[in-house]
Amino acid sequence: MTDTMQTDAVFHPKPSMPPPPNTVGVVGWMRKNLFGSLVDGILTIGCLALVLYVLNSVLQYTLINAVWTANSYRECLDINKGEGACWAGISVWFNSMMYGRYPDPEQWRINLAFVTLFAWMAPFWFPKVSGKMLVGASAVLTFPFLAAQLFLGGETSLFHQAMVSVALVLFITVWLHVGTSYLMGRSIGDVLVGITGFADKDDRLHKWVHMGFFGVGFVLAFLYQSSWEFVEVPITVWGGLFLTLVISGIGIASALPNGILLALGRRSKMPVIRVFCTSFIELFRSVPLITILFMAVTMMPLFLPVEINPPKLIMVIVAVCLFSAAYMAETVRAGLQAINKGQYEAAQAMGLNFWKMMALIVMPQALKLMIPNIVGSFIGLMKDTTLVSIIGLYDILLMAKAAGQNPTWLGFHTEPLLFTASFFFVICFCMSKYSQHLERTIGGGYGRR
Amino acid sequence: MKKVSLFGLGAGLLAALALSPEPVSAQESTLDIVKSRGHLRCQLGTPAPGFYSLSDAGKWSGFDVETCRAVSASIFGDPDKIEYQSVTSAVRFTAMANGESDVLSRTTTWTLFRETQLGLDFTTVNFYDGQGFMVTNDSGVKSALELKGATVCVLTGTTTELNLTDYGRTNGLDIQPVVFEDSNVRDSTFFSGGCDAITNDKSGLASIRAKAPDRSIFTILPETISKEPLGPVVRQNDSQWNDIVMWAVFTMVAAEELGINSGNVDKMRAESGNPEIRRMLGVEGDLNTGLGLGKDWAYNIIKMVGNYGENYEEYMGSKTVMNIPRAGSVNDLWTRGGLMYSPPFR
Repeated sequence: MTDTMQTDAVFHPKPSMPPPPNTVGVVGWMRKNLFGSLVDGILTIGCLALVLYVLNSVLQYTLINAVWTANSYRECLDINKGEGACWAGISVWFNSMMYGRYPDPEQWRINLAFVTLFAWMAPFWFPKVSGKMLVGASAVLTFPFLAAQLFLGGETSLFHQAMVSVALVLFITVWLHVGTSYLMGRSIGDVLVGITGFADKDDRLHKWVHMGFFGVGFVLAFLYQSSWEFVEVPITVWGGLFLTLVISGIGIASALPNGILLALGRRSKMPVIRVFCTSFIELFRSVPLITILFMAVTMMPLFLPVEINPPKLIMVIVAVCLFSAAYMAETVRAGLQAINKGQYEAAQAMGLNFWKMMALIVMPQALKLMIPNIVGSFIGLMKDTTLVSIIGLYDILLMAKAAGQNPTWLGFHTEPLLFTASFFFVICFCMSKYSQHLERTIGGGYGRR
Repeated sequence: MKKVSLFGLGAGLLAALALSPEPVSAQESTLDIVKSRGHLRCQLGTPAPGFYSLSDAGKWSGFDVETCRAVSASIFGDPDKIEYQSVTSAVRFTAMANGESDVLSRTTTWTLFRETQLGLDFTTVNFYDGQGFMVTNDSGVKSALELKGATVCVLTGTTTELNLTDYGRTNGLDIQPVVFEDSNVRDSTFFSGGCDAITNDKSGLASIRAKAPDRSIFTILPETISKEPLGPVVRQNDSQWNDIVMWAVFTMVAAEELGINSGNVDKMRAESGNPEIRRMLGVEGDLNTGLGLGKDWAYNIIKMVGNYGENYEEYMGSKTVMNIPRAGSVNDLWTRGGLMYSPPFR
């Protein structure tokens, strides 16, 4: 008896009771978060009803009552009595809203240029590819020439042709580099040196090998591109989303370098540079963009000789670049001021000169802190470019408005605006997501918290 | 169309001031500039149905576009050597003053102020517009004078609003204006019964009616409460260029009066014995030399662009969505009781 008592004395914990069924799972979560009290319950049901009501109206308008094929707005009205969207019009006006008055047979050139740009930038997302800075720099410095050749067409200068050839060689090099990085785990430069058998030679020789390959590629590319014959498309027929992207793209690409220079100038100890940069920044930041655009487009020609009559678009792009640079300068300055003085002093103590100190020590830390603000400015700039519609450039917004004034499509104004809004949302949301991605990957210890 | 824009006014004045000592192109004639450039720069507004609108293929067309095409045809013998500039009304006069546009052909009312203060010359009138009212048939209103105490939809900050209150006061109508910033909102409010009547230029009323879900339930009242003579405009101090644009319009009007249209112009040139037609089409005389154009300038206009009536019917007539009847209106020929009248070709 006692023996058995002893053996039985081992403690067998009773399995704990399952929690009451209404506190776990979906039901439990709902009870806790949605129906915790009478007020919560009423609020939940009220909100649900509101959401359903709105969703229902949205679906009614965008899908259920929508018309997908029609030849005029009148036909749409006859079918749905104005109760739903007339998406048929969007398909009719799609090309206009994308490319403006750019001639249909030439529109592939725009597509090609944008695909090239994306392909050029794509290696940024490939983790195994080295030298991302070089990839980015090659695109920023030479892609504009290639794009200008594609967009404008017609006869170009010898210099322009040379730059187009350089762009072609660099673009192909970038993708060969991606290929060798993934297949052989080496950069394109090393592979080229390997082929020639100079791998174990002096570094200086490697440079000559690279130059040699570049030279051969350049000659081939030059011969190839000289056979191109693009019809000239005047700048005045550019429009739609294409125009919006050209203006904001150039504005965005130029904002950061110009902004950095202006910010450094404003913090400079040299009075002339400091005064110039400060007055430039203050002048352009204190004036609304629309005023600058009006000045550039309507007043500038009055002060210029008659022979010099630059196209409106060029004036607008210059104005947008100056404006965005002034804003960016202040963002960059804020970043510079966030860097501890000790960092500057440490860099100087190591014997770095001003530019090396900025490029190697200060800027990398400052830029990291500035990412949210920089992207914020970019998104703002992207949306601000719709102001050019006021001075009569047919960007996507003005194109959307023009659609509803065509006699066949009279009254067609809500749908194009919705369509335009969705495009802006997608583009701005992508920028925002990319900035978050950047913060996570390069933010290090300073990431989002 | 007639928005009172302080900025536009200011910019226009500034431009006029900046120009006054030495006008940009007074030295060189616009015709020479246009010829050496190889195309005409024609200023339109942002799309307005009937007058100028953009097709989904990116082509401009409309009543005012035809004026530019006529000028191009008379100079180049080709109606499409044109670079169209679509400019908002805020900067339309500056774009003329700074030499950007050669001719402004958009719904612009001829007024004394604009003629004298902005460095511009109005050539002639090619469309007589005027402010009117539109009501629903159900209301039973037959005349604007019956609009006692009525609510009227109107765009704010325009001369339209001013004219409306003036008209109400002069006639003791106690009109209640319902003002809007945006024309689309104004129109949909009117369609859904938010006001008893809507006021705008009559051509504008026609395009509002055209986009209504049901067009047949609206009537445009007969009264016209303002004068809005619209026509092409050129820069001041270039009378040759002024003449070219003015007579391009006159050619189209005279052609209709003389019974010439784009279809029969070849036959007329070959067979007609009417001396005015022969002078006009360049068969005899040398009327073209004064304008500095080729002998068949008027022939080209009629052949390639058509006469006034043809263009009216194509863009404003009863077969279009605008549906502004012409017979007996001010825009009819003088021989039929209208105001369209061309000086003689001799």
